[in-house]
Amino acid sequence: MRTLIKSTLMLLFMLPMSFFAQNTVSGNVTESSTGLPVPGVNVIVQGTSNGTITDFDGNYTIQNVSNDDILVFSFLGFTTQEIPYEGQSTININLDEDAASLDEVVLIGYGATSEQDATGAVEKISSESFNQGAVVSPEQLIAGKSAGVQITPGGGAPGQGGTIRIRGGSSLSASNDPLIVVDGVPLDQRGVAGSRNALNSINPNEIEDFTVLKDAAATSIYGSRASNGVILITTRKGKKDSPFQFTYDLKTSIGNITDKVDVLNADEFRNLINNTPGTDPSLLGNANTDWQEQIYETSVGAIHNLTATQGVGNFYYRLNFNQTAETGVLSGDYYERNSFNIALNQDLFDNKLKLSLTSKNSLDKNKFANQGAIGSAVAFDPTQPIYDDTLPFGGYFEFSRQSGGEIVQQNLATRNPVALLEQTTDKNQTRRSITNLNAEYKIPFITGLKAVVNAGFDYAEARGNTFTPLIAASNTSNIDQFSNYENINRNLLLDAYLNYKTDVSFLNTTEVDLTAGHSYQEFYSFSDVFGTEQDQKVDFPVDINRNALESYFARASFDINNKYLISGSIRADGSSRVAPQNRWGYFPAASIGWKLHNEDFLQGSNLISELKLRGGYGETGNYEIDRNYGFLGIYTPSQGGARYQFGDNFVPTLRPEEYDEDLKWESLINYNAGIDFGFFSNRLSGSVDVYYRETEDLIATVPVPAGANLSDQLLTNVGATVSKGVEIGLSGDLARSEDFNWTLNYNISFQELEITELSLGDDPNFFIPQGGISGGVGNNIQLWKEGYDPTTFFVFRQVYNDQGQPIEGAYVDVNGDNAITEADKQPYKKATPDYYMGLTNTMNYKNLDLSFTFRGSFGNYNYNNTQSSNGFVEAGTNTPSNYYSNFNSNVLASGFENSQFFSDYYLEAADFVKLDNISIGYTIPGEEMDFRISATATNVLTITNYEGLDPEVFGGIDNNFYPRSRRFVLGLNFAF
Amino acid sequence: MFNKIKSTFLVLFGMAILWSCESDLDLVPEDNRETAASAFKDPAAYKQFLAKLYAGFAISGQDGPAGDADLSGLDEGFSQYMRLYWMVQELTTDEAVIGWNDGTIKDLHNQNWTSGNEFIRTMYSRIMYQIAQSNEYLRQTEASVLDGRGVDSSLRSEIDTYRAEARFLRALSYWHALDLYGNPPFVTEEDPVGAFLPEQTNSAELFNYIESELLAIESELKAPGANEYGRADQGALWMLLSKLYLNAEKYTGNGRYSDVITYTNKVINADYDLVDDYQKLFLADNNTNGAQNEIIFPITFDGINTQAYGGMTFIIHAAVGGEMDPDEFGINGGWAGLRTTSALVNKFLDSEDAEISEVGDERALFFTEGQSKEISDISSFTDGYAVAKYKNVDVNGNAGSDPTGDFPDTDFPMFRLGDAYLMYAEAVLRGGGGSEADAAGYINELRARAFGDSSNNISSSDLTLSFILSERARELYWEAHRRTDLIRFNQFSENGIWPYKGGVPQGATTQAFRDLMPIPASDLGVNTNLTQNPGY
Repeated sequence: MRTLIKSTLMLLFMLPMSFFAQNTVSGNVTESSTGLPVPGVNVIVQGTSNGTITDFDGNYTIQNVSNDDILVFSFLGFTTQEIPYEGQSTININLDEDAASLDEVVLIGYGATSEQDATGAVEKISSESFNQGAVVSPEQLIAGKSAGVQITPGGGAPGQGGTIRIRGGSSLSASNDPLIVVDGVPLDQRGVAGSRNALNSINPNEIEDFTVLKDAAATSIYGSRASNGVILITTRKGKKDSPFQFTYDLKTSIGNITDKVDVLNADEFRNLINNTPGTDPSLLGNANTDWQEQIYETSVGAIHNLTATQGVGNFYYRLNFNQTAETGVLSGDYYERNSFNIALNQDLFDNKLKLSLTSKNSLDKNKFANQGAIGSAVAFDPTQPIYDDTLPFGGYFEFSRQSGGEIVQQNLATRNPVALLEQTTDKNQTRRSITNLNAEYKIPFITGLKAVVNAGFDYAEARGNTFTPLIAASNTSNIDQFSNYENINRNLLLDAYLNYKTDVSFLNTTEVDLTAGHSYQEFYSFSDVFGTEQDQKVDFPVDINRNALESYFARASFDINNKYLISGSIRADGSSRVAPQNRWGYFPAASIGWKLHNEDFLQGSNLISELKLRGGYGETGNYEIDRNYGFLGIYTPSQGGARYQFGDNFVPTLRPEEYDEDLKWESLINYNAGIDFGFFSNRLSGSVDVYYRETEDLIATVPVPAGANLSDQLLTNVGATVSKGVEIGLSGDLARSEDFNWTLNYNISFQELEITELSLGDDPNFFIPQGGISGGVGNNIQLWKEGYDPTTFFVFRQVYNDQGQPIEGAYVDVNGDNAITEADKQPYKKATPDYYMGLTNTMNYKNLDLSFTFRGSFGNYNYNNTQSSNGFVEAGTNTPSNYYSNFNSNVLASGFENSQFFSDYYLEAADFVKLDNISIGYTIPGEEMDFRISATATNVLTITNYEGLDPEVFGGIDNNFYPRSRRFVLGLNFAF
Repeated sequence: MFNKIKSTFLVLFGMAILWSCESDLDLVPEDNRETAASAFKDPAAYKQFLAKLYAGFAISGQDGPAGDADLSGLDEGFSQYMRLYWMVQELTTDEAVIGWNDGTIKDLHNQNWTSGNEFIRTMYSRIMYQIAQSNEYLRQTEASVLDGRGVDSSLRSEIDTYRAEARFLRALSYWHALDLYGNPPFVTEEDPVGAFLPEQTNSAELFNYIESELLAIESELKAPGANEYGRADQGALWMLLSKLYLNAEKYTGNGRYSDVITYTNKVINADYDLVDDYQKLFLADNNTNGAQNEIIFPITFDGINTQAYGGMTFIIHAAVGGEMDPDEFGINGGWAGLRTTSALVNKFLDSEDAEISEVGDERALFFTEGQSKEISDISSFTDGYAVAKYKNVDVNGNAGSDPTGDFPDTDFPMFRLGDAYLMYAEAVLRGGGGSEADAAGYINELRARAFGDSSNNISSSDLTLSFILSERARELYWEAHRRTDLIRFNQFSENGIWPYKGGVPQGATTQAFRDLMPIPASDLGVNTNLTQNPGY
């Protein structure tokens, strides 16, 4: 290993250097079919770094050309031309379209295919269709862009990660996150402890494209990690034979919250308290404080990208430095990313050996604002002042009481939100490197055979600390509270595979593509905390987890007569996390395709340019659970105040954990059928996919028969889900001309997920409560039950009077026993949408471009926990000690005296259409430099009937959500 | 160069294939977690595992006060054994109400719970958890297993006592299961660990099992007072047998009152003494202030070492609110939940109109300032007298050891001599033999302590069953006996009325099937061997 790296590095730095300054050549490059000029063509003297790019009119000038040099003209989608220089002063070039390259290459995992030959549901989203704006988290680039891919942005915290669901996910207790593979390195699906988003170490600016593998025919090559789909991220590389180019890109942004939660103002609050019998108005203050106003501020951000790329002969590179800094709308929140990306490529021995080193290195700095302030701000008494110097809480007002002649905070009282933000610190730094070396070697003597080795590591280290001083009311102990933590996540990968491509004479010509290989990956995590627990400083025991995955995989693809496609793959995964008797899982897949457009009857059709039918079957697995040793009987020692008194000693305890010695993968069976089409020279193109999936041996935490195991619930293989859906993606070029281009992309996805089996028994009424809410303790608002979506709500059906007012405590007596008990709760509505869509518009007129993205979601409901937890009179008046807390304004509408947490009154349709971003840009091409300026607004507009702040709440329980900001972004780009 | 690269590459390729083949997919924990094989290399592990069985009654998980819960079906603090046991034994009766909005918590007092009630479910889970843990203890300490580990003889003799205690604790939990659910699933150390479906037992069988277990280990437990504080001895076993026999008629249809006399006599004749001051039984130093001589079996708590959001933390914090000064209770603030009904208060009064402040009975530890005696809104803390019985202060009023005021030192007196006296007297009245004079004498010891003198002593002729039931309320209220007592006197469901019983302010009787709790729907759903109790 070391030898190889050493020799690679040596090669990489042996840069050719022989230049003899001579003459200047200029000329014009046009497209041979239309005669139109082609801007952006690379013109380079072969084997040197001397080169340029054609301007907007296709003109170029290149200096320092000497006799016998060869000029190379290259442009994506066109055949590269090489012209020997023999003293000409003008060289004009007609470029021909390259039929082969028009058919885009798509990655399929351990290899690639062309879009035309893909038989699975695979979608590539390239940088030109990415979302605009000051995008910090990579997944936001493709929100709304692909059918079947739902990306819910996280809360409004800077750098906050979103949730990605491909075809909705199909598991209950195991993860529903897709496997993310970056430049061939599968990331640890459990993320990086302490980081706001595990994907943030990938600079969005450096992403070339995303390839989304949706169905099992495409994903099953990733075996036990593939059930939730796979996203392959390819980062940008240098280009062979390209001139030195330096780019500076700047995006500055400001953002504000769009709305605040409706709560009573000080006068309304006084009024309500004064009019509620049994209250003591003397507990009210004299101030008028809008607490939400106090905790939110304008967020500012800047993203700098400095990029250098060059291709010198067979060596090409791309270097990028990025600094991203953004404050949050919640005062004190801050995210900063400093990243350095390196991509080095060296082709050797007539391109027989291709070496590629990519390294993504980042240093993130975070200050986490105390998000408890969000809930406090909606609940804190608005008649109280922010500051009160007479109290011993660092100058802040807090609810207090006398204790032994001293003033102390009232236990359990709402804390001053401003003090929460200003008195607590919580910050960390995360270092991460995702690096891999890929070597691809064409084996001599056997044409078409190549060997590929990919060695990678992903190392992340987070160090941080939290601090709450003794003086803060939120600190109820007698010492400063702190914790210093360190988390390490490490993942090592070594893949090796052989690929053989050849043509055989079978039914005219059959292209054969065979791949077989082996992969080993080890995941390690470590965490250590030193901090306080009550009044003691404690060195908490370290937590170490290691697991390993060993795999064999193979794939065979046949393209018969350029019409019929057949592909099959299999993967065998062995995981240390699975009991030895179930350790190896086998995940096969098969798919077929029929390229109808290559049939005689469609050849030469003016209408149909592409028509392909696809069908696939595949099996995948899912084992993304927290536990590494779920099949082993483990003993856990106790820590902290978990000792028991024997005589004068306090004996630490030792607990045997529950376990399922047969725990194994969740397996998913997937059927997919699709059609890809293109009409009018692909001006209208698209695809339609339908799928049906069954998950068996579902991994779920379910009640275990009491007494049978060592806890009440057990993570085990139980039950099944069925999901099905239809996905339609359409792309239309409404205008295609020299000056004006206009493209619309639209996608819509219908999906349905249902639990078909859940329990170890067969009781049809069996259910498991889910979805904890705020208000009371241990209250749940959702359930898992056979026949229902896993996000289904479980509520009482509210009864209304003639005026449409809810009658407090009156619910539909479903079982007719003349009593309202929890037996009258009904499964009703769900948090996931029935269908969702995305619409992207891009247009340009000459140098002016405009794009926007709409996203919509329909059929999804939210439980408005912000209303239900503070929207009744006793929520503010019946507090544990002498203070009152504020109400959600809904209390005036509902008139509820007591909590009605389980009423469907709080279930609201949360359908929405959002204008996610709109961007306008202008490009000024220049001789020395191209300049681009753009203005973007993000989170521009939300159309919804939902009463809460934002209808888009992952999981459907809206409770003190960190509001997303509306941002305005100014972008400047200089390319030299 | 080419050849060098080529060979390097081929070596690397070969390594890539081979590397992993050497790799081991048999990984075991590398941090402080242990496998069974490694955990018991440390001889101390046997005592630590035993400590877990005891701690199962006091705390909720492996990270005190919270963070690594034993049970996952409900909030960790709520899932604690003593908290749940206290709730089902007290909230369902005239002795306590709670004002919170946690799920179905109010259904307990309203007596309209269903098989979906999460507190009833989690109590059941906790009991069965405790039993399963005890079974695992017995499996891990079987002679053949110990042989395999080469455990030496001195440790083995200690382990013999540990095993007897594990069986005692299992019998205690099975008694709770018998009393609450009647027909629970039945598992012993003979069963495996997995997801099999345990068989359902019935009250009579379970009664016999508990009795046989207790009789079998009687001689293996240490003599009263001979064990370390906190650990069970023969005194605890006799108390449990007495309680089992006292309620036997409800469990099996056959009264066993003479056995009550036998075993309460063993307790009474052992070296236990009433503490001089009733309040001392419920203070932070009740393990040292003299109360330890009366308490036969405590569930211990400690402000630093034994922390949980259940147990005494719940009982003390939840009972403080309104005008009550948290300092007087040695805590940092109240949770404003628990109060009592006028039905309990009236048991201390000569007439319902009398003032509780005029009462000479020291056991009437009510807090009345700002509180109304009658309840008009259960949610409001100031409705109903508060109970100031348990405190986290010592006899001198100093707060317990936890400087943050969260976690009390007060131990919960699960079995104490006062109860033995009352059981003896009741068994005499129910025809178990014994002596009425002794019975009156024992009751008068309690009353003399309560009133400070003999002025309120009773005579043998005053001894009636209804007097006993009331006296038990006065002496033992909020000590998690009430539900069992009311059922034994047939006053829990179809007889007996107190405020908000049946969900109405004036109280209403409920159906007799509620003497048993339902088997939780969640367990019925997974264990097809189970049949629901009648009425649910």
